[in-house]
Amino acid sequence: MASEFGSTRLFAIALLVVATPLLTGAARGPALQLFPTTVLEDIKETGQVAEDMETGLQEVISRLDRQQQLYVESKCDGAVEDPGCARIAKQLGASYMEMLDVMGQRLPDMERAVNSTRTSLEKRLRSELGLKMTPWALQETLLGNQPDGSEPAQPKLRGRSGLRLSERFRQYYSLVAQSGSKADHSLAVVASDIYLDMEEASVLIAQTQEEIGRATLLEELNQSFGVITPEMQQVVNGVKSILFGESGQVIELAGPPPGSGQIEYESPLEW
Amino acid sequence: MDMRHTETKRGSIMNRPITAIVVRAIVALGLLGAAGGCATSTPDCSLAATRNLDSAIDSAKSNLQAGCVAYFDGYMDQLLEVAAGDPQPENKRAFSDFLIWSSDQGLLSKRQAQETWNRFFNVKFVSLQGDYNNCAQTCPVRDDVLDNMERELADKERGMLKASLDQNGYYRADRLLQETELVLAATCRACAAGGR
Repeated sequence: MASEFGSTRLFAIALLVVATPLLTGAARGPALQLFPTTVLEDIKETGQVAEDMETGLQEVISRLDRQQQLYVESKCDGAVEDPGCARIAKQLGASYMEMLDVMGQRLPDMERAVNSTRTSLEKRLRSELGLKMTPWALQETLLGNQPDGSEPAQPKLRGRSGLRLSERFRQYYSLVAQSGSKADHSLAVVASDIYLDMEEASVLIAQTQEEIGRATLLEELNQSFGVITPEMQQVVNGVKSILFGESGQVIELAGPPPGSGQIEYESPLEW
Repeated sequence: MDMRHTETKRGSIMNRPITAIVVRAIVALGLLGAAGGCATSTPDCSLAATRNLDSAIDSAKSNLQAGCVAYFDGYMDQLLEVAAGDPQPENKRAFSDFLIWSSDQGLLSKRQAQETWNRFFNVKFVSLQGDYNNCAQTCPVRDDVLDNMERELADKERGMLKASLDQNGYYRADRLLQETELVLAATCRACAAGGR
């Protein structure tokens, strides 16, 4: 999990040095100011916090899975009197509490990082795309100055729920860095994508925190039974899907078929 | 026939002053005469039955010059059908020339000609324009704008893809619509958050 990008400070600084002038449009005149350094830092920090959370949870969630499997395979369901089953159930309960504890410790950081990214992007989107642009200017920005038939610099759109959270942020960061060197139209799409994701993440974090409070209380009450309930299983599954996703399920949009390569006719009526 | 109704009408005529009846009769006769005159000079506004786009355009032009201006939209529709029967990139030029001719003839304003052209043959969306900022103009009617763009994309499919084989252009327009949807969803949410 200590990924190649996250801890390599020198690389990050180098990337920032290269990317920042391009992202802020210093080289291209009046460009979109969607990703100033502060926003980039927010994205990077959110990715780091997500990675820390994954690292802390991965071991305990794997253990929970193993214990759950053992419980099922030992046919412990309903065999509360069996001492072996009671021991597994107690271990399960303890692992579950540990997971909640790790999450409870990490989620406030995550919440702060996500909200900070969301707020800074919100301001930028409102000002750059909402208040400074007409609908026509927005359309032209999205379209860019792309000659017909050329391969558009396409950022991947929403629908990456199958990715690890930290991987998602790594992709965001790299999308911004790559798009920045090409065109504003990609940046507008990437900024919108990240912002909407942050909105969802923010809601999910709040729900998860609520759920942790509720589940902790229930688990404390049920400690003598120790059995993992369907509600507890639901929390574990929710955490797994938010943080770890299912890798390799990137939903891609259908691309256009290969072009004919002909120079298109341009009417004098064209805008 | 409703006899009661006829009786009532007849009764009402009998009760009117004679001058009013005479005036109405004269007007009615005049209208009848005018209608009779129109009936003899009404042009046949149907397009020639041809699968050749140039011939169909010639037929549309002569009909339009003969006074069938009200049929313009129907002609565009039929011409697109004809073009789809023999799709080729050159069809774009034929439509452009036809629209420029229509504008020169005063059948369409320059703006109408441009809008028609861009609606069917350009990547950009006629439905997404305006003079004010997006927070003020687009966001309050975002759903309507996107619905209109969706309909316009169907027209672009007819013009760009089916009539003139401009696949790159059409798929770029399709993607532009998707991107607009995403960007407006985020931007309008950000605009609303600013107003809270």
